[in-house]
Amino acid sequence: MEVHLPPRICRDQGGFAYLARLNARIQHCFLDTITVDMERTIWFDADMCAVLGAILHKASNNVNAVEIIRIQPDVEKALSRNGFLRSYGRWQPSDRYGTTIAYRCFNRAEHQLFAQYVDGFIQHQRIPKMSNRLLRALRRNVQEIFGNSALHSRSDLGVFSCGQFFRTKEWLAFAVADLGVGIQQNVKEHLRWEMTPEQAIDWAVRDNHTTRRDRVPGGMGLAILQQFIDWNGGCIQIVSDAGYWQRTKGRNVTANLGNPFPGTIVSIEINTADPKVYDLVS
Amino acid sequence: MPDKFSFQVYGIVGSSLCVATEDGQKVFDQIAPVLRHGRSVALSFLNVDIMTTAFLNAAIGQLYGQFDEKIVESLLTVQDLLPEDESLLALVKKSSKRYFEDPDRYDRDFQDALGIERGDVVH
Repeated sequence: MEVHLPPRICRDQGGFAYLARLNARIQHCFLDTITVDMERTIWFDADMCAVLGAILHKASNNVNAVEIIRIQPDVEKALSRNGFLRSYGRWQPSDRYGTTIAYRCFNRAEHQLFAQYVDGFIQHQRIPKMSNRLLRALRRNVQEIFGNSALHSRSDLGVFSCGQFFRTKEWLAFAVADLGVGIQQNVKEHLRWEMTPEQAIDWAVRDNHTTRRDRVPGGMGLAILQQFIDWNGGCIQIVSDAGYWQRTKGRNVTANLGNPFPGTIVSIEINTADPKVYDLVS
Repeated sequence: MPDKFSFQVYGIVGSSLCVATEDGQKVFDQIAPVLRHGRSVALSFLNVDIMTTAFLNAAIGQLYGQFDEKIVESLLTVQDLLPEDESLLALVKKSSKRYFEDPDRYDRDFQDALGIERGDVVH
């Protein structure tokens, strides 16, 4: 099967919707070669590699060969620098600008490795102006995202992450995607109530809402992440199944993507020049 | 048996990165038997760099489900926390107490908000 990517894949509703549609096209392939043709693609937000990587990994796991062809030179440079194209036969050049956050796949039990990866990109990339408080808040919140994926996905297919630092905009984008049980299914099992995928995300992001069934309380990670994003003036987007949820400047937007992503994506954008002192409000 | 036990979180977890529920459970497993025997625990977070709510909920939050709040507050002291981690721990404690008062409250509130009748569920 051959699929052609569009001219632009951005970290927005359109980008997620396109990649969900791509997944719908290839999800039933078996013993096939899936050729991803990127000839028309002139822009690909590097952090979206986490999403494309998850989809292609799932396709590969269904016993398909996956290849990416005809990549535009600028896009190829970006997706090689972060290591994404290593899985598709390209070598990884050094990141001389110090702005990439490598594409990686983690086992969901690898909390410590993930934490080291996050510390690695924060300490070794040339991100100026971030206050210590902001750095710690960012590290903790990114870790909360991984913890959510690890806990709720119940999948052994891995947790995928990738990011990019935009030096001139002083902006950092980071995405985590898993291929597990989506939020809708988890919430349905917990509340025993059928709701739309976007309603389910809206339920899950509220303070103290959790689908855990053991004696450990939970449901704070995504609420604290929202608080952090609001203070920072950043943006958070969550995709799970066909549900899309976005929060920026204290406003929520929800939508249905039309096709499901086979798991959950959390994508954040952070203003790295934010001078505010972070403290949690109870 | 000593009256007071001192534990190092760093030593229990084996890392300065206290991020996983499983690691929080290790801390809980150290503290809970001591409290059960009515002894005090001093829990030091020295050398701990990063903590998540998932870790703290497992390590400390779940104590409020097994012990009376007064027992936890009187027998457990935490030390060597950075100011922002103190705020996080306060949030976890407050949330845990509220959760164990009525674990179904949040589900019920949401069902009410959606107009879902109780018993009107899918199987």
